[in-house]
Amino acid sequence: MKKKIHWAPYLLIMPAVLFVLLVVAYPVLNSIGMSFQNYNLMIPGVRGFVGFKNYITVLTDSLFYQSLLNTVIWVVFGVGFQFIFGFILALILNTSFHARGAIRATVLVPWVTPGVLIGLMWSWMYDGNYGVINDVLHKLGIINKFIPFLANPSTALPSVIVTIVWQGIPFFAIMLLAGLQAIPNELYEAADVDGCSRIRKLFNITIPSMKNTIFVTTMLRIIWVANSIDVIFSMTGGGPGYSTHTLSVYAFKKAYGTLDFGIASTLSIMLTLLLMIVEFFYLKNFFKDAE
Amino acid sequence: MVKFVRALSAALAAVIVASSFVGCGSKTSSNNAASSNDNTPVTITHWLWVDSADYMQTMNKIADDFHSKYPNITVKMQTYAYSDFSNTLTTALAGGGGPDTASFKLTWTPAYTQNNYLLALDDAVDKWEGKSEILPMLWDKMKEAGGGKIYTMPWTWQVLYVYYRPSYFKAVGIDSVPKTFDEFIEDIKKCTTTINGKKVYGFGLRGASGGQEPWGSFIQAYGGRFADENNKVILNSPETVKGTQVFIDLYKNGYAPKTAVNDGLAELKTMFNNGQIAMFIHHIGSSVDMVKANGDDIDAFPVPKGPGGQWTSMGDTENVVIASTKHQDAAIKWVEYLASADAVKKWDLATGNLPVVSSVAEAAEFKDNKFMKVSMESQSYAGIFPILPTTANWVNNVWAPVMQQALMGKISAEEAVKQLDAQLKGQA
Amino acid sequence: MKKESVLSKIFLFFIPLTLILIFTLFPFYWTLITSIKTPKEIFQLTYWPHSVSFSNYIKLFTQSDYLICLRNSFLVAACTTLVTLCTTLLAAYAFSRYRFKGKKAFLTIFLMINMFPSVLLLVPLFAIMRNLHILYTPGALILAYSTFTIPFSVWMLTGFLNDLPSALEEAAMVDGCNRPKAFVRIILPIAVPGIVATGVYIFINAWNEYTYAVMFTNNTSRTIPVFLKLLVGEFNIDWGLLTAGGIITILPICIMFMFVQKSLIQGLTAGAVKG
Repeated sequence: MKKKIHWAPYLLIMPAVLFVLLVVAYPVLNSIGMSFQNYNLMIPGVRGFVGFKNYITVLTDSLFYQSLLNTVIWVVFGVGFQFIFGFILALILNTSFHARGAIRATVLVPWVTPGVLIGLMWSWMYDGNYGVINDVLHKLGIINKFIPFLANPSTALPSVIVTIVWQGIPFFAIMLLAGLQAIPNELYEAADVDGCSRIRKLFNITIPSMKNTIFVTTMLRIIWVANSIDVIFSMTGGGPGYSTHTLSVYAFKKAYGTLDFGIASTLSIMLTLLLMIVEFFYLKNFFKDAE
Repeated sequence: MVKFVRALSAALAAVIVASSFVGCGSKTSSNNAASSNDNTPVTITHWLWVDSADYMQTMNKIADDFHSKYPNITVKMQTYAYSDFSNTLTTALAGGGGPDTASFKLTWTPAYTQNNYLLALDDAVDKWEGKSEILPMLWDKMKEAGGGKIYTMPWTWQVLYVYYRPSYFKAVGIDSVPKTFDEFIEDIKKCTTTINGKKVYGFGLRGASGGQEPWGSFIQAYGGRFADENNKVILNSPETVKGTQVFIDLYKNGYAPKTAVNDGLAELKTMFNNGQIAMFIHHIGSSVDMVKANGDDIDAFPVPKGPGGQWTSMGDTENVVIASTKHQDAAIKWVEYLASADAVKKWDLATGNLPVVSSVAEAAEFKDNKFMKVSMESQSYAGIFPILPTTANWVNNVWAPVMQQALMGKISAEEAVKQLDAQLKGQA
Repeated sequence: MKKESVLSKIFLFFIPLTLILIFTLFPFYWTLITSIKTPKEIFQLTYWPHSVSFSNYIKLFTQSDYLICLRNSFLVAACTTLVTLCTTLLAAYAFSRYRFKGKKAFLTIFLMINMFPSVLLLVPLFAIMRNLHILYTPGALILAYSTFTIPFSVWMLTGFLNDLPSALEEAAMVDGCNRPKAFVRIILPIAVPGIVATGVYIFINAWNEYTYAVMFTNNTSRTIPVFLKLLVGEFNIDWGLLTAGGIITILPICIMFMFVQKSLIQGLTAGAVKG
């Protein structure tokens, strides 16, 4: 690759960088600053720098660890299943068949549905008295009594995970579909000549060729799912008990419930740090390939 | 070439972005410090929530009437969803913006007064001719919430009572509504049976956020109290535990639906309409809807008296003037108008709420409403939760999770009451 | 090309597709029938309404602000997409094809910004919008959304471009093209699926966003998610309008996508690309 004069890449990235940093830099720095302060709108008298006190408070809070565990489960299963089903869907949509365009448009529906509607519709579908999910499972003979999915702490988190998986499959389907296009057909044809089976082709050709796309989409999705609160809030509000409290839900409640922006900022920073650790491994791989 | 492409796209982006700034948003009115008593035209912004578009039409009429009375004042109204109303308002105020006046709930008061967001209205109220028309107990409650000062003007209020289905009472042989709390519990048990082939639960217990209000009636019926005269929290007591145990036992022993842990108002209404529960506690705000769905087969009785007392929760909505408003005089006139007979009559006829003005409450349309009657009967023992800095969070984020754990048997009633007491005291 | 056996077609294709379609579309179906049910029937477990009524849709279009919000949503989403794609395409090319100092740093900063829960940035952003005097105009949302979609898009487009070997444009440059020409002639056409996918992502993000929309708009500049949330009242949920509004929100996007989805797939050779 020819080495260009140094200014070209900088010019190219300048619009994006300026746009973002000029608007978001101050708020983000402001938030980081707040995590080192006593910043509680309810107690305006006691304001000021307190060093790491907030961090210690958070790290000795049992609810923090419960939220942490919930977040891990939420992200691992949420993103994991979104990816698997999205990939399967992408593979299917990649083939040619009648009404392909219409089908591709219809699978988009969960992604395009407004969050408030998703929460409300799924809440009613899960309802312990009139929910259609209970009705169907009952009619299929899978359950004997209706299950109050969202009222039971052991079923609440899995239930909202199903909803977030439902919402996220189209994202992966579309992104991975685009990525599938970059794979030159010659590779498959060569494998056919060699008599490769479907599975071998999938794992030896498809997935490696799409490595970058897969990395980036899962990485971005992890961030998005870890931070999302709309679905949880509209379905369970973080309950029952604290069973659907994720770190971002907890931070939001601290900010708008107790108006304690100091602790809320601290929680957000901790979530960000955790995500950074996770992404660190991705980044290592990504940059390695880019060399 | 690169430079050109870059410049072109940057320019394109800038043009697009710039053109949307000149978009269809309303301009913030130029805020000259207009002196209060001259008749320069003034526009004030009022933030509120409404439960339906029809109610908004009523508000528009009220605003028009106000404009005819004070032609130089125009009120622009902005609606926000109820569930994030307070968040939106605090964010706007913290960011230097916000309206001139807004709808409000008493429990939010400490957060706002601590940060000097609200204008104290004592002087204005003293001079107001409509002051004596307001039900006296409302002034007391609002003063209590404001820590001795008045920051809110009354708008609507509701009193919690018990809805029941007369046909079910008849079917299980209950001749008259319960007069004591023990009778109430007995009736709940009686109604938990099969009626007309349908499995019925006696009581729609509300375990989700908002359920602390009916629960309050339970603990007070057995002698528990939230706070003493000095607003000191005294929640943790054997009486409170007793009342909580009665509450929990209804669920544990199957007199309330299994879903109660998560049930909020929407679920209770649906279950009642579908005949699945015989009774539930709410107020007149839902009566219009309930009558639409059930016709004559719905009625109400006041929360009965228990061995330790009688209490029911008071719901409320007020209007406030934001301290940073540049049109104090106009803003005050608006919130006063909203609390006057004309506006109150219009609003309450449309929404079915209780009139805050005594003369309106005497009017025929209201006096003969059976739900109104029950509400007025309960006036003397209607109360609010102590308004402390911890209250809003306690109501929104503490009561439900703690009670849910108790209902599910994860913690005992004693432990639950202990936690609730500590959180309300701010000691968690 | 080998002819697929009917059996493998059924198991590997029809069954998974049908299952996924049912899973994907059932809530949509439920929303649809709820929107045409009468108020009484909404809370009953019927799989098809006993009596069909379109009154919710009529009310939606004639008695509510829905159409205004629809227009606002389109405006904001389209502008955000345009602004974001323009800025990020350039940046992604740089990140993908060049080595330069600070490359890793910039990419990492972009990522970090997106890791931060946006809710906590509300108050300072509100103040910024106010000071720029763009509060309550569509510009506020476009600005706010772009700052969050740009980092994501940079990463996504960089990822897509990285999957395209640079040998392609090098061949063209050997033939005498300069870099920009090679980009436009060779890379851009092949990158169209990635660009379209990213564009779709940006559009949908802007379309569905709620938290910032609520703070930065008023009754005239409102977007659809805010409109729908307003139907959830203090004591009452307007299920009819909510579900009707939801259906009308989903449909135009899906129709738009039907036209766009062709460009997600390009360079088809004989037969399908087998997974």
